[in-house]
Amino acid sequence: MNMAIFKNIIGRISALGEAIFFLGDVFKVIFSGRVRFAQVLEQIYYQGVQSVVIIILSSLASGVVLGLQGSITLQRFGAREFIAPLVALSLVRELSPVFTAFIYSGKSGAGITAELGTMNTHEQIQATRALGVDPIEFLVVPRFLACVLVMPVLVIISELIGIFGGYVVGIFQAQLPSAIYIRQTIQSIHYVDFFSGLIKSFFFSIIVAWVCCYQGFFTSGGALGVGRFTTRAVAYSYIMVILSNALLTMFILTIWG
Amino acid sequence: MIKVEHLSKTLGDQKILNDISFEVATGEILVFLGPSGVGKTVLLKHLIGLLKPDCGSVIINGKDITKLSRVEQLKMRKDFGYLFQEGALYDFMNVFDNVAFPLREHTNLNYQQIRGRVREVLDMVDLDDVEAKMPSELSGGMKKRVGLARAIVLGAKILLCDEPTSGLDPIRSFDISNLIRQVAKKIGVTMVMTSHDVDNSFRIADRLAILNEGHIEVIGSQQDLLSNQHPFVKEFLKPEAV
Repeated sequence: MNMAIFKNIIGRISALGEAIFFLGDVFKVIFSGRVRFAQVLEQIYYQGVQSVVIIILSSLASGVVLGLQGSITLQRFGAREFIAPLVALSLVRELSPVFTAFIYSGKSGAGITAELGTMNTHEQIQATRALGVDPIEFLVVPRFLACVLVMPVLVIISELIGIFGGYVVGIFQAQLPSAIYIRQTIQSIHYVDFFSGLIKSFFFSIIVAWVCCYQGFFTSGGALGVGRFTTRAVAYSYIMVILSNALLTMFILTIWG
Repeated sequence: MIKVEHLSKTLGDQKILNDISFEVATGEILVFLGPSGVGKTVLLKHLIGLLKPDCGSVIINGKDITKLSRVEQLKMRKDFGYLFQEGALYDFMNVFDNVAFPLREHTNLNYQQIRGRVREVLDMVDLDDVEAKMPSELSGGMKKRVGLARAIVLGAKILLCDEPTSGLDPIRSFDISNLIRQVAKKIGVTMVMTSHDVDNSFRIADRLAILNEGHIEVIGSQQDLLSNQHPFVKEFLKPEAV
């Protein structure tokens, strides 16, 4: 029993080491300039298109819900006009980066793992090596970079759409004048708020890209394995995004307040 | 020339290869026979450096490839062609792009030259009018032919074929076996192949070896194998020998 637990722990530590080396290999390719830009653009298109509609819909819904809940609660305190800062700050500092990372890992991230996993089970990754080409450079880096470039853009889209959702509620449900709502929104968002969200989204994009590419690259066990590793990639991404969000929030609040 | 010395490999708790040594002369075709799961594919992957042995060496033209760095191994593989069991074609590329891939990666040929070379190797493997097709539109035999075309398109000096007849009906197996021998002899390549198809292997090989429980039971000519009295060898060759 103790031996089994010991083996399990050793297995997990070695998997973590393997994942860190994998990330190191990815960065080595990127920083040595071996980036295939045409493939990165292709991946940006696929990953962006895959996720943008669902992110717009969920951000709009988040903004509307935040606006509705905020207006009801704030009305009790006679502070209805604070809906705008509530919606804007919640979205920009926390909700948009985290929700976008969740949606992205569930949609594009899962797609990355499934694609690489299928290639691995069909020996296409080994074939790439056999053809004298580095599969990290050819198959992983374009997906990884696309993820890192697309996600922050999607976060900004999510923030804008979410704020628009809150605006609609503020104007039509809470009966606030449009000009005041817009002014309060602009005034409430300082550069620290915007950049803290953007910094978070950058870290989340690396986490999602790393976890999903790694799980896909080392998928085994045929079609069943592709399903298992894809589910695992999404679950691990969620956990790591949640944990890193807590750490980053603490760090950012300590630095910037 | 390929020289393998005392090669051993354990995967998990299982010893797959146990002190394997053999040589393949330039231009020779050596076929490894054996039932499924005896380590034929593992052996083949060691010859191109896709797997690292626990001990032993793989010497290709005087250079031990087990001692090369990852970058050196990638460079060295330009001299190899590897035909995977299921072809391992990129399913996001059509046939033309699959075959052209090594040329685009390792040469400075222009589009017209690449097109010409792709057509030449597709002709060599008897494929016509398939360039625009995706791998999912091809039969098993056609995938192997495209895989063979991709393996030789760079002018490989060493060709490794992993069970090229598996999953094919007897007629297609016969055709692909003849084709592989014909192509190998035409381009003068040194070839190592794995198979459990005794009949077709006898047709292709200059020499054959039988793998059993991680070691070579017998290696030699067709006659050497047929005259071997080891019970496993006799049992393995029985249906064909009769």
